[in-house]
Amino acid sequence: MRKLFLLATACGALQGCANLGVQPWEREVLARDDMQLDVNALDTAFDDHIYFSKEGTSGGRGFGGGGCGCN
Amino acid sequence: MANKDPGIGAAVAAATCSLLGTATPGVSVAADAEPKWDIESAFLYYGESDGRVKDLSLSALATRDFGDERKLGLDLSVDSLTGASPSGAIANSSAQTFTSPSGRDTYSTPAGEIPLDNTFLDTRFALNGSWSQPFARLYTVNAGLGFSSEYDYQHIGANFGLTRDFNQRNTTLSAALAYAQDTIKPVGGLPLPLAQMTDAVDDEQSPGNRGDNSDSKNVLDVLLGVTQVIGRHTLLRVNLSYSDSSGYLTDPYKILSVVDPVTGDLIGRTPAPGASGPTGVYRFESRPDSRRKEALYAELRHDFSGKVLQLGYRYSTDDWDVDSHTLESRLRLPIGGSSYFEPHVRYYQQTAASFYRYSLANGALPEFASADARLSEMSAVTMGLKYGHVNAGGNEWNTRLEFYRQTAKAPNEVLIGNQPGNTQMPDFDAVILQFGYHFKL
Repeated sequence: MRKLFLLATACGALQGCANLGVQPWEREVLARDDMQLDVNALDTAFDDHIYFSKEGTSGGRGFGGGGCGCN
Repeated sequence: MANKDPGIGAAVAAATCSLLGTATPGVSVAADAEPKWDIESAFLYYGESDGRVKDLSLSALATRDFGDERKLGLDLSVDSLTGASPSGAIANSSAQTFTSPSGRDTYSTPAGEIPLDNTFLDTRFALNGSWSQPFARLYTVNAGLGFSSEYDYQHIGANFGLTRDFNQRNTTLSAALAYAQDTIKPVGGLPLPLAQMTDAVDDEQSPGNRGDNSDSKNVLDVLLGVTQVIGRHTLLRVNLSYSDSSGYLTDPYKILSVVDPVTGDLIGRTPAPGASGPTGVYRFESRPDSRRKEALYAELRHDFSGKVLQLGYRYSTDDWDVDSHTLESRLRLPIGGSSYFEPHVRYYQQTAASFYRYSLANGALPEFASADARLSEMSAVTMGLKYGHVNAGGNEWNTRLEFYRQTAKAPNEVLIGNQPGNTQMPDFDAVILQFGYHFKL
């Protein structure tokens, strides 16, 4: 039931997305380096590694991190 | 909202394309002279309070653009870890002695202090490579391989992802899959689950209560994401992820104190005559051999006349009953044309794993138990500030300083006898200091 609800929400959201957005010539702000999702890629990688080692959950932004014994 | 008149839109799009078309020769000449490699490099210091873990890390993330959006990514990291890590045992009214993980030495903890294993020392190398390129119109495919190695742990992983743009590239759907196989080879061998810590042995003997030398764990991750342009100044990303780990998920170095079921006090033990060993009863931990996690992650990026706000939220839940909420925000504030400040705050909170125990009551043993504070109720706060400056050559150097404070709590239902009101959790503060240089070659 919960999965069905999630699916319905996702489909609804996608339909809604069709009405959002900008024209190609309206992307000057979105094209800036500081608006890119991976602008702090190295900071994010360090942070994911630290929090993976110190907390009970990881991942979400990308894959779950890991690849270390980290005790 | 965007003008929906297709006539005007098509005319402007055609005009834009023709403008781009006439500019093409100039662009291509400039592209030949453009640097091919984009390299982010950084040095990181991570240091915990009270002589606990310290990590010095060097990392470089290099991206080579082969044109036509074909990109090679290489990521190399070296970590050097030293310091002491909480063993899971509880503080005691008298000094405690433990057999070290190798099974061949002992270490002691003064009365009233949380036991820390100070034999912790490791160097880790990690290398990741990835390739991404367009695949038919509107599709991008990417694939990667990763490898890391430390003294007692090896990791090898592969990932594959596909993205597709919709709605004039305002909506991007992505799907990705990752598989990893890790090998754990702990110092002294794998402790048997919940086995009691024994006296130290000399080099000719095998440490007691150990099984095989190594074991493995496999992790499968699936990630589905949507990135949506909301407007000229706003971008939203939402990910749903699923992670399935199986195999050896126990921490071979963590132990639990065994206590009197009435008083909650540590049960004492005397090493054999002529031997050195534990002065209390301690058992190695045991975790289930599978874990399934699901997470929802959302990130919003919004531009306020040049200032960029990033807001992130993650909800994660798993079948160990560890549910967590993470809230994170960064605000990039430009100063002049070439510098910026970026404050950062993060709040994290989790519930305890179903098998988390502060200690073990003497008597019948549960199937699984761990006193690792990372599986207890916990909250953590990070506050930091980053400063970046772009020099005349277009390269950026930056530095960030952050403070992290973690506070754990043992749920009341796992406390025994006189433990409520007397618990000592291995809370800590840490400093993160990073220097980075982002340049092009």
